[in-house]
Amino acid sequence: MKDSRIGVYICWCGTNIAKMVDVEKIAEDIGRLENVVIARNYKYMCSDPGQDLIIKDIKEHELDRVVVAACSPRIHELTFRKALENAGLNQYLFEMANIREHVSWVHTDREEATKKAADLVRAALKRVSYHEPLDKLSVAINPATLIVGGGVAGMSAAFRLAEAGKKVYLVEKEADLGGQAARLDLSFPYLNTVSSFLQPLIRKVKEHKNIKVFTGQSISEITGYVGNFKTTTGINGKLEDLEFGHIIVATGLSNYDPSPFKNYGYGRLPDVITSIEFEKMLRSGNIKCSDGKPPRHIAIIHCVGSRNENIHEYCSRTCCATALKYANQLRATFPGAGIYDLYADMRAFSKACEELYTKTSTKDVMFLMFDPERSLPEVKQAGWKDECNMLIDMHEILSGENVEVPADMVILMTAVEAQKDAKDIAHAAGISMCGNHFYIEKHPKLDPVATTTDGVFIVGTCQGPKDIPESITQAWAAAARVLAGISRGTVTVEVTTAVVNEEICCGCQTCISVCPYTAISFNEEKNVSEVNEVLCKGCGTCGSTCPTGAIRSRHFTDMQILSQIEGMLNEGKVKETHKILEEA
Amino acid sequence: MANFEPKIVAFLCNWCSYTGADLAGTSRMKYAHNIRIIRVMCSGRVDPTFVLKSLREGADGVLICGCHPGDCHYHEGNYKCLRRYEFIKQYLTEMGIDKKRIRLDWISASEGKQFAELADAMTEQVAELGPCRVRSIMENVT
Repeated sequence: MKDSRIGVYICWCGTNIAKMVDVEKIAEDIGRLENVVIARNYKYMCSDPGQDLIIKDIKEHELDRVVVAACSPRIHELTFRKALENAGLNQYLFEMANIREHVSWVHTDREEATKKAADLVRAALKRVSYHEPLDKLSVAINPATLIVGGGVAGMSAAFRLAEAGKKVYLVEKEADLGGQAARLDLSFPYLNTVSSFLQPLIRKVKEHKNIKVFTGQSISEITGYVGNFKTTTGINGKLEDLEFGHIIVATGLSNYDPSPFKNYGYGRLPDVITSIEFEKMLRSGNIKCSDGKPPRHIAIIHCVGSRNENIHEYCSRTCCATALKYANQLRATFPGAGIYDLYADMRAFSKACEELYTKTSTKDVMFLMFDPERSLPEVKQAGWKDECNMLIDMHEILSGENVEVPADMVILMTAVEAQKDAKDIAHAAGISMCGNHFYIEKHPKLDPVATTTDGVFIVGTCQGPKDIPESITQAWAAAARVLAGISRGTVTVEVTTAVVNEEICCGCQTCISVCPYTAISFNEEKNVSEVNEVLCKGCGTCGSTCPTGAIRSRHFTDMQILSQIEGMLNEGKVKETHKILEEA
Repeated sequence: MANFEPKIVAFLCNWCSYTGADLAGTSRMKYAHNIRIIRVMCSGRVDPTFVLKSLREGADGVLICGCHPGDCHYHEGNYKCLRRYEFIKQYLTEMGIDKKRIRLDWISASEGKQFAELADAMTEQVAELGPCRVRSIMENVT
């Protein structure tokens, strides 16, 4: 290993790191080690002054490598790489040690946490000595975009892009566009008809010359990378190859089936219906019970499948406001009917929704609160003497009394959940999923509509429960991100691909057998393997399979990882100058 | 042996397991401080040499984490890792090293809690075995 001139920066992250890790001590200890020219600690390395510190040091101290110990590289690796580039240093001569997510936030013993953080910094220090400058590959961006899902979010994004003059391929698995919104009657909080804005949107999308709509189609496989993706789709067996530079996934949600809740009697009692079934009734303009009569008493039950540890822990977010919407619609239709709203918590959080709650409470709607941890309401068939079809037993916690609620119709506010085929789309597009199968954004605040795969964006309810305005906001945000990419014209792709050292390749072709992308081919003439850099995604499986070490996984080379292990488990060599000083 | 604090090197794939470990952090879960994480793009990148090098440099245990079967970002790297893992275990046994010093597990990007629990379980498992003597033996070869 040749001598390097390394700058090491330990971030406090305010108190996030500094309260659990002795950042000053680490900087001091690291500063004594060989090849370390400068070691500093600073409050916020990611801030502009923090980055300027690195840039200034690179110039002043002629640093040729940089280590930053801070948060996860998944958050700020690119920030610091850019700082290196601004200082004229190749951005790959940088390594990050994760001492926040992997140390200060998960440990409680300050001494041990400091020791661990120091180990991680030494590992990064040793690794960075073996980093090599890499060039980025610049490729042209195909200005077309693939949008998967033709609901409100997908169509909104499609229309924005098309209006900007860009080609859009919109693929919808159902026979019609519209998604979940097409199943709704009115929207909250202003009780406007959904179709009044949805139908014009559908028409605009269908008629737009820049949008090609594929209905009744799904996407099974997408190949390529940002700027140059490919897939195949088509109608009636007539397949079409599509090429596009970006992907927006807007696959939406599905509705929870409440049959497992025996206490609500869904499927057993004919007048217990789900909210989406009630929407259908509302759209038909004919609210009636299974016996054809109008209901005299209607009960609405919240949190069916949501906020329940055994089903969905999350809040479905839109059901409370939807329930308030129903109460208003029912009151308008049946002025004399009993309307009962059985809720666990009223979460009318969206803009103007609390006001809707207040307004609803003046309309003779009875709000009854239950505690789902104590007991759930129990719906049962009423007796022949009763003046209603069903009775609901519940413990009302505000009054502390057990009450019996009459009902001819029970509406279950069922949870929304991820699409059943969420995993297939996630695989095709390279998106990560939460445990509940909603898609994970790159970062909730720093990059909320992007994913960890460059060029792939997620919008609407495939990312999590949300209302229509929120879905549209995300769709427009993603459209803006895509347009920014298209107007840049080119994209730089990482070249952390595999490369073959032809001199030591023995021609065994083991690498070819393990490559998942058929990126490696055999050159018969030279008797060596060759990597196609455009196809290679840099997983490194070939590198760990190669018996001679001829394949190098760039930026994750054997030497880089082995030295990282060495640095982590050894104290490190102290500089000669320091030794003399310390002995004296 | 009560105060023995094992050193464990963990290789985590970038897409699922490293993200899962990050989630354990952002969720402020607490786990044993003995785990030192190295990021690889895919668990399929974990070369048996990395495991041997870790033990040689003084690690008492090695943990490898990848995406759940079927969820690999690179389609099947985790399966390759699994096959290699079986081989490494056999090799370690033949070398007189307890195979319980190495462990392969699947952690998804949403399994912060599971990662924290795994880190604790692995620490306990290795602590029971006591220090790994590979490094001291290698250093005293005459």
